Parts: sequence; structure tokens; C-alpha cells
Amino acid sequence: MISAHRLTKTYGDRTAVDGISFTVEPGRVTGFLGPNGAGKSTTMRMVLGLDRPTSGSVTVNGRRYADYPAPLREVGALLEARALHPGRSARDHLRWLAASNGIPRTRVDEVLDLVGITAVADQRVGRFSLGMGQRLGIAAALIGDPPVVVLDEPVNGLDPEGIRWVRTLARDLATEGRTVFVSSHLMSEMALTADHLVVIGRGRVLADCSTAEFVAQHAASHVRVRSPQHDQVATLLRHQGLDVAAHGGELRVRGLDPAGVGELVGRSGLLLHELTLVRSSLEDAFMTLTADSVEYAGAAR
Amino acid sequence: MSTVGTHAWTRVETAAPPGATAALRAEWVKFWTVRSTPWSLAAMFLLGAGLTTLVCALSAEALARGDVGEPVGAFVTWGIVFAQVTAVVLGALVVTSEYGTGMIRATLAATPRRGAVLAAKAAVLATTLFVAGTLTALAGYLGGNWFLDREGIGLALTDDGVLRSMVGSGLYMAGLGLFAAAVGLLVRHTAAALAIVLGLVFVVGNLVMVLPGAWGEWATKLMPGNAGSAVATPESFNPLLLDPWVGFAVFLAEVAVVLAVAAAVFTRRDA
Repeated sequence: MISAHRLTKTYGDRTAVDGISFTVEPGRVTGFLGPNGAGKSTTMRMVLGLDRPTSGSVTVNGRRYADYPAPLREVGALLEARALHPGRSARDHLRWLAASNGIPRTRVDEVLDLVGITAVADQRVGRFSLGMGQRLGIAAALIGDPPVVVLDEPVNGLDPEGIRWVRTLARDLATEGRTVFVSSHLMSEMALTADHLVVIGRGRVLADCSTAEFVAQHAASHVRVRSPQHDQVATLLRHQGLDVAAHGGELRVRGLDPAGVGELVGRSGLLLHELTLVRSSLEDAFMTLTADSVEYAGAAR
Repeated sequence: MSTVGTHAWTRVETAAPPGATAALRAEWVKFWTVRSTPWSLAAMFLLGAGLTTLVCALSAEALARGDVGEPVGAFVTWGIVFAQVTAVVLGALVVTSEYGTGMIRATLAATPRRGAVLAAKAAVLATTLFVAGTLTALAGYLGGNWFLDREGIGLALTDDGVLRSMVGSGLYMAGLGLFAAAVGLLVRHTAAALAIVLGLVFVVGNLVMVLPGAWGEWATKLMPGNAGSAVATPESFNPLLLDPWVGFAVFLAEVAVVLAVAAAVFTRRDA
């Protein structure tokens, strides 16, 4: 379990993480979601004791990360794919990690095998593709067989097969009872991977709920209506107290399901050419939620 | 390639916590698994032993005739002046390559006790440089002295300062490597660290010699490269320098101060 309590980090007068509190429970995948610059990586560095919180605290299974004598056996982390020396082989990278925490050397071969890079284990990692680098990073995270796994943007740069692999891995680790904390700026990916979401923007927690709850709350829907009697239909629906917006030749109706809209229009003897339920995507929901908190919003928006 | 689902997961034996030597073993593995280490040490040996031998071979005759006007003792460690560059490079790289690649975060996540990380790095670096520097000086002496012996002006290992300069070369290399590592820890950038240390040792150390009066004389004596290098040669080309062990003590104190500042910054700074 990871517990953050009023965790704050400021750099000069810029507040990267603004008093956030959350817990990451074992046995499920918790997604840590936010746009770039929201404070995800800063938070993860504080979890691992790399950055010192300005105030507040964060503990892993009740202790500060830095207080563990062999932290790699407690928390495995993929921080950045390229936290590696390009001239060292994958096997040697894992060897020094194992040595640093008194982990038996046999475990090096195990994790190489687990992530499927045994064949290239003796190549220098500078020659690795992004995907192989990510796999090595995940091997490094798992070397201590830790009960808590932290993965910062693990699918960045991966091909579809690699993405599916990471997703399966995260789910399997959670099924084994581990605490799995995965950050991403991709809502759609998190919807498939995470059971629970902590959404942050500009260093604050915007949502902390199950993925299903998040979808129900934030993924809005409307009914698309097309009619040759466009104006009459719009007037009719508005008289029923519905929210109707005209977009070109279509009407977007909120507040009633397609069946209800169809019946209303049919009873008035008006014609319909289209009646469709449109769900906005999770990505849209995420965008809506974080719109105010995007650090560098595009000028066009 | 989904190997996870089919894989049996077993908890790693966690009976014993890692001993105090765990950080040391990790740094040892890191040190010897990048190519810059063997390359730097090979360069040190070639420059230190090779140039000494070459220069002795070329100047043995003139030295024997007595028309050089420089002490013979200064020639048997001649190449060390150039070999010290490799100690600086190796020392800086041990630290700055981790910052350049982002590796430092992996290192500090594995060993959050930063003092232990620094101590382990320093121990691995200093031990290796001491051994390599001593062997290099010894090989240079053996090679160079063979030519000097032929002219009848060879030095015995038991002659005044000869054995001291062999061990002294190792000590000086170790100190210089630590100095570069400390500066590297402060600036976190390879080129900057090299520029600062090499500039201090080779450029500033020689420039202050032209300063007038007692001020210039003491600045010359106390510059790290000048103070520390006297111990690495039986007899110096520069008669102004401090006595070998006095100079080395001054050098060590300077290295200790920079290292202490670097350690203080390192333990407080965000990684």
C-alpha cells in the first residue's frame, strides 16, 4: 500500500504537487492519470525518496521508502526507460541492481526471461529499441520480487503488442496481490488497465474513484437527431425542457434517451432521418476534467 | 510474448538484509561493466609507463653526459604528468555518466543512503586508481631505468625517493580521481567537470608560477596539481614545490574539503 498525505513539492515559486492525499491499495491496478506536467513524475519520485517533499509525507507499507534497508525488495519502480548507462549490457545492469540489495544472482536470469529479453541480455542497452528498453526497465522493477510495483508511463513508445503485454503484466501483478501503481497521460489506456483511478491536474487530485465510477460520472452522452423538419423538431424538444443544441444539420439532445426522443417526435407526426446515441469518449471526459489544469494549453483552445 | 501469465512467481529469499558491503559490490560491478574504465586504465598505463620509457630511452645519453641540467630522478616518472589526465577522466565519469544518463535515479532508488553510495564510489575509484597508478609508475620505472642503466646512471628501487614515488604515483592518482569525482558531483556534467579539474591542474597550476613575489610562490606550492604531484616523482623538475609528503598532505586536505562540500550537496539535493 502506498499512502500520500498532504504531499507537496514546490520548485521556487512553482508548485508541482499541491497537498495531494491518496492511497494505493494492494490487489488492484491503480492508474495515476493526468496531463503532462500535472505532477505525476514528481509524485513518483517522492514515493521513491528521490525528491524530498516540501511538506507532507508518503509511505510505502507504512514506512518511508528511504528507511528500507533493501528497498528493491519492497518497491520495484520503472521510472524512466532511459535511466540506464547505454554502454552497459542488460545483464550487467540487472547484476549491479541485484548486488545493491543482496538479491541472489539467479534472479537476474529469471527476470530477463520473464520480460523476454534473454536473447539480447549481453548486448549494450544503447542499441536497444524503446520497447526493449522498457522491458529491461520492467525487469529491473521486478528484480526484488517486490510487493509494490510503481510504473511511470510504462507504455510510452511501445508497439501495440508491447502495450498489451504491459497491460497483462500489470493486471497479473495485481491479481497476485501486489500493489500496482501505473501512471499515464492516456485515459483510454488506463480505462483498460486500471481498476481504480487517481486523476491529477496542476498538482491537485481531481478524482479518486473506481474506473467504472469515473466513466459513469464523466463520460457524457447525447442523442444525435437529424430531421428534414429540423426547426420544428428543435422547438418541440425545447418545449419539453430538453437541452438542444444545433450543429450544422444535426441536433444534439441531452436529458433523454433515444427512445424517449423518438416517441416525442413520432407523436407530433414529424419525420426523423437519424436518431443515434453518442457517447463521448473517455479521452473527452478526461480532457473536460483536466481542461482547466493543463499546464501549457494550446493557444487555439 | 506474454510470459507472465504462465510464469510461476516465487518470492525472493529475503532472509538476510543486504550487508554493509552491498553498495560497494554494486559500485564495483558498475565500475567494471562500462568500457570507459578499461580504456582509461589502458590509457593511463600507455601514457605513464610508455612515455616514461620512451623519454628515458631518448635522453639517457644526454643525461649521462650531464648536459641536460635536470635531475635523473625526474625522468623515471616522466609520463605520470600525462597519465594523470586519465585519472581525472575516470574520476569524473564515475559520477557524471550517471547524471548524463539518468542512472543516478536508479542508483539512489536501489541505495537511498546517499552517504553509502558516495563512500562506495570513492572506495572503488580510489582503490583501483591506487593500484593502477602504482603499477603504471613501476612499469615506467622498470622500462625507463633499463635505458638509464645502460648509460650507467640508473636508479635502484632502494635509492632515495624511488620506491616512494611508485607508491606516491598511486596515491596521487587516487587523490586526483576523488577530486574529479567530487567536482563531478557538484557540477553533474562531464565536460564541465573535466574543464574545471584539468584547468586547475594543468593551466592554472602553471600560470600561477609567473605571479610575482611570495604570493605567486605560495600559490604555486598550494595548487592541488602542484602540491600533490611531488610525491609521485623521486625528484621534481620544479625545485619550488613543497616536500613530497607535506605537499601530498596539503593536496589531500584540499580534496577532502571539496569532497565534503560535494557530499553535503549530494545528500540534500533532489535526484
